[in-house]
Amino acid sequence: MKNFKNTLITIATVCSLSACNNGENSATNKNGLSESELKTSVTNTWFAQGEKAITTAEANWQNVKDIADPKGKAKNIILFVGDGMGVSTLTAARILEGQGKGMLGEENRLSFETFPFSGFAKTYNVDAQTPDSAGTMTAMMSGVKTDAGVLGVDADILRGDCSSVAGNEMSTALELAEIAGKSTGVISTARITHATPAATYAKSAERNWEDVSDMPEAAITAGCEDIASQLVNFEANLEARNSGVDVDGIEVVFGGGRRHFLPKDAAFNSIDAASSVEGDRTDSRDLTAEWKTAYSDGMYIDDQASFDAINPETTTRVLGLFNESHMQYEADRANDVAGEPSLSEMTSKAINILDNNEKGFFLTVESGRIDHAHHAGNAYNALNDTIEFAKAVQTAIDNTNPEDTLIIVTADHSHVFTIAGYPKRGNPILGKVVGVGKSEASLAKDGMPYTTLGYTNGNGYQNLGSETNADATYSLANGAGRVDLTNVDTTTPGFHQEALVPLSSETHAGEDVAIFASGPGAHLVTGTNEQSLIFHIMNYAANLTASE
Amino acid sequence: MCKKSIALALVSVLSCTGFSVKATELLNDQKTNDWYKQGEQVLTKKLAQKTTNKAKNVILFVGDGMGISTLTAARILQGQQAGELGEEGYLSFEKFPFSALVKTYNVDAQTPDSAGTMTAMMSGLKSDAGVLGVDENIERGNCASAKGSEVATLLELAEIRGLSTGIISTARITHATPAATYAKSADRNWEDISDMPAEAIEQGCQDIALQLVNFEQNLEQRYQDIDVDGIEVVFGGGRRHFLPKEAAFNSADAVSEIEGDRSDSLDLTAQWQTSYPEGKYIIDQAGFDALDTANTTQVLGLFNESHMQYEADRANDIAGEPSLTQMTSKAIDILDNNDKGYFLTVESGRIDHGHHAGSAYNALTDTIEFAKAVQAAIDSTNPDETLILVTADHSHVFTIAGYPKRGNPILGKVVSVGKTDPTLASDGMPYTTVGYTNGLGHHNLVGETDADKGYAEAVNIGRMDLTTIDSTDSGYHQEANIPLGSETHAGEDISLHAIGPGAHLVQGNIEQSVIFHVINKALGLTK
Repeated sequence: MKNFKNTLITIATVCSLSACNNGENSATNKNGLSESELKTSVTNTWFAQGEKAITTAEANWQNVKDIADPKGKAKNIILFVGDGMGVSTLTAARILEGQGKGMLGEENRLSFETFPFSGFAKTYNVDAQTPDSAGTMTAMMSGVKTDAGVLGVDADILRGDCSSVAGNEMSTALELAEIAGKSTGVISTARITHATPAATYAKSAERNWEDVSDMPEAAITAGCEDIASQLVNFEANLEARNSGVDVDGIEVVFGGGRRHFLPKDAAFNSIDAASSVEGDRTDSRDLTAEWKTAYSDGMYIDDQASFDAINPETTTRVLGLFNESHMQYEADRANDVAGEPSLSEMTSKAINILDNNEKGFFLTVESGRIDHAHHAGNAYNALNDTIEFAKAVQTAIDNTNPEDTLIIVTADHSHVFTIAGYPKRGNPILGKVVGVGKSEASLAKDGMPYTTLGYTNGNGYQNLGSETNADATYSLANGAGRVDLTNVDTTTPGFHQEALVPLSSETHAGEDVAIFASGPGAHLVTGTNEQSLIFHIMNYAANLTASE
Repeated sequence: MCKKSIALALVSVLSCTGFSVKATELLNDQKTNDWYKQGEQVLTKKLAQKTTNKAKNVILFVGDGMGISTLTAARILQGQQAGELGEEGYLSFEKFPFSALVKTYNVDAQTPDSAGTMTAMMSGLKSDAGVLGVDENIERGNCASAKGSEVATLLELAEIRGLSTGIISTARITHATPAATYAKSADRNWEDISDMPAEAIEQGCQDIALQLVNFEQNLEQRYQDIDVDGIEVVFGGGRRHFLPKEAAFNSADAVSEIEGDRSDSLDLTAQWQTSYPEGKYIIDQAGFDALDTANTTQVLGLFNESHMQYEADRANDIAGEPSLTQMTSKAIDILDNNDKGYFLTVESGRIDHGHHAGSAYNALTDTIEFAKAVQAAIDSTNPDETLILVTADHSHVFTIAGYPKRGNPILGKVVSVGKTDPTLASDGMPYTTVGYTNGLGHHNLVGETDADKGYAEAVNIGRMDLTTIDSTDSGYHQEANIPLGSETHAGEDISLHAIGPGAHLVQGNIEQSVIFHVINKALGLTK
């Protein structure tokens, strides 16, 4: 400050407010710097970019003010969930995507990182410090936190106890959207009966009850329905649960998990079957046939060719089960038996079907295999699937109108995945740490190089070269601990990073995840929040419940 | 949606009204659920959020090395210390209405250091790792290359505008983060003249401590027709860089036989006192407590020979030193005497040091103290006129692992949902929830509250049998996989939390240098 303490009283008594800005004994002095004095800064690209960022932020907020109340302004909602896509995964994937485009990488942004608003989600489950996907997706879909491992029910449930389900079922945003007359869709690269997609449509005391063969006898006897069956019976169940409701079922379902829909009988194998007997069901039901009977206008598809043949303008309903189990990692997709679409292709096709409804749509899109690759300790597939996920979001941006579509992108939880050391700018993100100004890898105290990316626990080091299926690690002995990587190319698809604590599967991590949002109501996504807030924002922006 | 046939019939009456009534009934069970009610309340609050543009005061809090995993773990520890399960709580600033993700890389480094990152926040542009207050045209360690690369900082612009200014750090006040507010240097390590190569001295580069004491005259020389009165409040450690290397200059708080490091015989504390005869130079808790905030115009508090103590270790300081919260409160009470407002930066420097030493205990307890300091700022300011920003400069390779049950001690071993005994890894041994990818590794220094004691031990990486070890002890250092002399920073984005005028411009995913522009916009410093 300028001579302030000594002149405070004098100024206060002598000058009017407007005449006081420079203080009386510094009349020749200025109170700011000229552009030429700031030359080094104002000619700097970073500085100019920062000024532009403020202009953009002001415009974003002006849009918020112009909308005034976002209630009901979102005709369409798309919720993207990158399973296990923590903040470190985002940064590493951003760098890999950039380096793939010939950039240094760090300056790149994934598609949704350009969204105007972001916030943080606290992911813990009611009974778990570090959560699982069932409890977290239930929080996002129903607005209530619940226990780990359960779907569409509140924390009064006892996991695995069928009889504790009754009375604890929660409604989901997908159900409310159905009732509000919107079209609905569920997409996942995991089995469509897996925790994240299942939390949109199923009520279950146990996420593992994917088909009847996975259930204990007591649960079946007590009348609990397996998850695949709940998907096919979604319309009937929703109407039965709420008298007077008349819905028409989910319009678009794309994912894996065909085994949970088919009888355990080789006669029901599809041309895409990986096992000798594809189906797992012990009750002889063919749910794909049941679905076709219930929806005579629907298309049941199981491979790339039938996917490509879908005309989104005339298709009213589609069930696509593209794999016996999970769909392939994006890097491994070319190895699929009968071919399967990418997450971007599924997203694009789904939107083009769903947007035929004038009342709008509600779509959830999960990239389920980011999580699986991390569990397998393979950063390559986790990051590559994150990049494909970002492309799918870009597809959604390109196919929707930001004035009537709220897009939320988030993760359900993180992984123990770190970006370590002091690698120089532009160093290959999958490579070994090379320090600033250096060309040789930095050595640890044991004289050996180390990778930038790593895990605190898991299956540890494996060097599977060109292998594009991360799950190949599970047939090998645990490789936790340090390894001499001097002659190992750590950037190959088959390289699995080192880990400290030996576990059969690398674990989730407990820190907050990011939420990104664009469209009506997006500005409500800010600050640190419980994960269950995501439901409330979607509910408000689409006014799912308030049209009485 | 309604059945197609019905939908067609109802298009003209806008919606399937009858069914939507059922929709609200559907939620009857949910609406009595506490999580659901809490979500609705938060939403209502967000919808009512008002924004204004012009700030009188700005306080920038930097938790050095305070990544997102550190926030979550510290939040849980804070709650558990208060007798709660922990996960449901919030650190003070996590309740701020606005937030963003921040990209931390330096121009030449994928994973950054504190010098480049704080320069980005203070000057609005990214620079190289290891340099202070200069742009990327600098060559690190080359004094001559600094000329022409100097950039103005928010603190300087605030001074020129007539605001009061302050800098607080629990690290040495000459350390990278605080130094980026006032110094221009080709190397962050030039904390005093004895740290500089002869060539740099000959070429006329000033050491960082000297630049702090000469701040006013240096700034006035750099720009024409300005008249500033210097930084009002400086609180931190690093006395050794201000005193001559002579035992005669030792303070009552000296740790080493010869406290000072300066090889040029300059006593910068005396020089500062000469420049500011009304200013108070203080070195300990008693001197700090004696400050009369209503009448103090300028204060230089150097409370430690090197870094200030970890909060958990503070009681062991020789002459006593204030907490970060106390320093923050006192600084605000002095700075707010200026009707034009003030700009204050507060760094918790030792969160970073706790992590580097592989001690989650010290990293988290210092984060909790940092959150208290932010609360003190909230309590001492008016949200209508004060923009408060809370962020980190970079993260650490610190993870929250396994599937511990709710309320499991965050510093403890993983105990799964429904279990009472620790979960065992494939090697048959338990493992801790929090851990590091690299660093010094496991040490069990029972009862120790100074994380840096780990450096005296041999590097001890890999797995240990923790069966009989209490990993919640203050002296426990977590396991690590890659042996390094110091656990490293991490490269992922960190968070920015904001409240007050201009806080709504904190949005999305930003380069770290945008923080300067948010503050500049709120204070209108360059326009």
